[in-house]
Amino acid sequence: MGSISLNNINKSFGSTEVLKNINLDIADGEFLILIGPSGCGKSTLMNLIAGLEDLNSGEIIIDGLNVSDESPKDRDIAMVFQSYALYPTMNVARNICFGLEMNKVPKSEQESILKRVSELLQIDHLLDRKPGQLSGGQRQRVAMGRALARSPKVFLFDEPLSNLDAKLRVEMRTEIKKLHKRIGTTMVYVTHDQIEAMTLADRIAVLKDGELQQIGTPYEIYNDPVSHFVADFMGSPGMNFIECIVKDENLIIESGGKKYEILIPCKDALNKSNLDVVLLGIRPEMLTEVQPSTVGNKFIQKVKFDVEVIEPMGADTVAIGQWNETEVMVRLSPESGNSAGNGFDLQVDTSKAILFDPSSGLRLR
Amino acid sequence: MTSLKLTKYNIGRAFIYLILLFFAFLYLAPLYVMFTTSLKDIEEIRSGNLMALPIDPTFYAWKKAWSSACTGSECNGLAPYFWNSVRIVVPAVIISTIVGAFNGYVLAKWKFKGSEFLFGALLFGCFIPFQVILLPMAKLLGMLGLANTVTGLVLVHVIYGVAFTTLFFRNYYVGIPTELVRAAKLDGAGFFAIFRHVFIPLSAPIFVVTIIWQFTQIWNDFLFGVVYSGSGTQPITVALNNLVNTSVGGKEYNVDMAAAIIAALPTLAVYVIAGKYFVRGLTAGAVKG
Amino acid sequence: MLNFLEKNLPKIVLAPTTIVMVVCMYGFIVWTGLLSLTKSRMMPQWDFVGLDQYRRLFANPRWDVAVDNLFVFLILFIIIALVLGLFLAIFLDQKIRAEGAIRTIYLYPMAISFIVTGTAWKWILNPGLGIEKLMNDWGFVGFEFRWLVEQDMAIYTIVIAAVWQSSGFVMALFLAGLRGVDENLTKAAKIDGASTVQLYWHVVLPLMRPVFFSAIVILTHIAIKSFDLVQALTGGGPGYASDLPANFMYTFTFNRAQIGLGASSAMIMLFGVLAILIPYLYSELREKNHD
Repeated sequence: MGSISLNNINKSFGSTEVLKNINLDIADGEFLILIGPSGCGKSTLMNLIAGLEDLNSGEIIIDGLNVSDESPKDRDIAMVFQSYALYPTMNVARNICFGLEMNKVPKSEQESILKRVSELLQIDHLLDRKPGQLSGGQRQRVAMGRALARSPKVFLFDEPLSNLDAKLRVEMRTEIKKLHKRIGTTMVYVTHDQIEAMTLADRIAVLKDGELQQIGTPYEIYNDPVSHFVADFMGSPGMNFIECIVKDENLIIESGGKKYEILIPCKDALNKSNLDVVLLGIRPEMLTEVQPSTVGNKFIQKVKFDVEVIEPMGADTVAIGQWNETEVMVRLSPESGNSAGNGFDLQVDTSKAILFDPSSGLRLR
Repeated sequence: MTSLKLTKYNIGRAFIYLILLFFAFLYLAPLYVMFTTSLKDIEEIRSGNLMALPIDPTFYAWKKAWSSACTGSECNGLAPYFWNSVRIVVPAVIISTIVGAFNGYVLAKWKFKGSEFLFGALLFGCFIPFQVILLPMAKLLGMLGLANTVTGLVLVHVIYGVAFTTLFFRNYYVGIPTELVRAAKLDGAGFFAIFRHVFIPLSAPIFVVTIIWQFTQIWNDFLFGVVYSGSGTQPITVALNNLVNTSVGGKEYNVDMAAAIIAALPTLAVYVIAGKYFVRGLTAGAVKG
Repeated sequence: MLNFLEKNLPKIVLAPTTIVMVVCMYGFIVWTGLLSLTKSRMMPQWDFVGLDQYRRLFANPRWDVAVDNLFVFLILFIIIALVLGLFLAIFLDQKIRAEGAIRTIYLYPMAISFIVTGTAWKWILNPGLGIEKLMNDWGFVGFEFRWLVEQDMAIYTIVIAAVWQSSGFVMALFLAGLRGVDENLTKAAKIDGASTVQLYWHVVLPLMRPVFFSAIVILTHIAIKSFDLVQALTGGGPGYASDLPANFMYTFTFNRAQIGLGASSAMIMLFGVLAILIPYLYSELREKNHD
């Protein structure tokens, strides 16, 4: 039904190339997240899928049909915008039905669709209001209702939650996920929020400077990033990156005034690269206080760690110190009792550590 | 200490109010003089002074200004010219506003290669001294057989008014989020449907601003009126000028003033009724080019 | 075909305006420019005589007077209207009661045509019965005010009437500008110990730069085009003492059948406007591209 293929997509505005040779297949019913920093081209890609911008080259195939030259209205697509883009002079009911009206759907059918959609989104009590009289969350629902009314092949979401406050954002996130479960339509969702990406996506596509960096499940993107950029983008607090000298297949780390040779899992990749210095990537949750239960894992090592700053976050506490004169964040339990200026024994678990080429930022495999 | 400060403050406030009221008086005085003069008879004008109230108010001057004062060789008062102005203003305002709305819509939301350049070129039209187009336009009107006609004047006002109306609408529509256009496109609406269903309902204020602006501009125009009209088709400003400068018999200042007020009345009325929009038009045309 | 139409609708909608603009603005300017190079008198004719008309123009004492008048008028009109407008705006910005009413009074002359303004002031400044008589009646015996009929002073009556008409508008511009000043900024300045005068001089006025800029452009524009006011107030007189270039152009083109000369004066007016306009538009457009 709503599969999408993007083949060799190129797009530039004037002399700036915004998208460079993008290839992407989205399965019917999939929830795909496009993520990247601002200016990476993710919104442009979405506009291209919608037909709101013209391609420079390449083709867009939706449901087996080449729609590259079709106008937006002939693509059977609905979109939820960042600003919601509700028609300010129309009431909620007409906002939802406008697309049906334009497509000459009979009045009676419009009514029944309106009823179904507004009940689904619990906005049936708002139908007579104007968008100006709605709260942010309600507008968000109406915008989704407008998209839903047309029962399109594909839903596009362009940073739909970024105008909501933090609490509402989490709520709406869950609702969007539920909605996808219920209707099962293909959804393409643009965001720069990595938590949204992790929680919602079937697959995540990471974009940078108009190029597709990696595409994969949230698990793959988080644990098996292809580059320094992708690894750095996902996760909060973010992954630690430390330049280390290689010695006998081990990495040298200076922590708490002492030098340690750290054992790492990806020795083949290290040997293959022939590098003397590599970038070690390790997530804060792999750096903890010593835990009694994890004996037997050979990648668990102990180092001295001097705490410079403590940032309690409620569920856990982040402590910041230095390794090889680079800032390192570690994740402690709130009860650890460490404070700034303290030194303690840090448990380092390198079983999920990964290595990058410091100059190219690419993963060593 | 406090009381001293308070008095100092009060003196300052009083000074400000005094200045403001003094200038309010200065701005109002000419209107007052016009009005009182128009109600006096010529004897009283000669014996009294500008600020004196009329002793025995009479509407003689108003009647004469409206229906029998001489404007050059004709002596039918301002009435026929008043209606000329109406016949020029109404179609010119309507047409230039509609054209401007469409132009503004395109220039703001349907940009194409070169549209910005076009806008710049058009914007320039708001500023050229019209002296530079007077002659060729006269020639064109002659060729079209519209010389000295009301239709000709309508055409001229539309042509040179569209630059302003376009500017107004374009700047207003630029402020409407482009995402609305995109949403409507996805909803299946085309160029005209989006204009009709999304933009027109949002445009009431800018229509009012533009209509008022055009109305005042065209009603108050003298240059085009004096160049492109013939006897019988002159707008009121031209007739007023002729009336004042016709010296058949003695000077009747009261008739001049009544005539001036009659010529000013429509635009003043608009200003009083919709001053907010009038000011917005002035500043919109001015501040943001 | 339908698709083509749909894709090009915006261009089609803009086409009539574009054509009319090219013909009736730029085409006509070229036409007038060419005409100014001919020896046309009563009717346009196409014997090119180079810059002869411009030489005649600059040798014409009447044109000299008109240009001098324009500078006097321009400078006085702009300075007085700016200062007055600015002060009224600052005073009005002091949380004044009845601000709306006062503002309305200051601005109403802008709704009136220059012809009406001219007619009114012609009467007020009437040498025998106007302000002179009023002052005499009020006890200032021997007070004389005959600018309207004095060769050297007539141009100043134009300034008076134009200031009366336009200063309220400048006030409105400044008031809008003042209202746009961030309140935190004025609060910060007050906490830093600035007096009201210092606050306006050091903090607020520098922020009004763009307003000054556009006010000057608009006032210049009004001044260069103001033809009606002269026509109604002094008729260019006494003699031609209060002519402005616009009146010169009109007189020579339409009353004296010197079309070529009139065209050359119109072109000079255009160049004058361009000299001010091009830097203005340039900076405006540049600002926009930064958005």
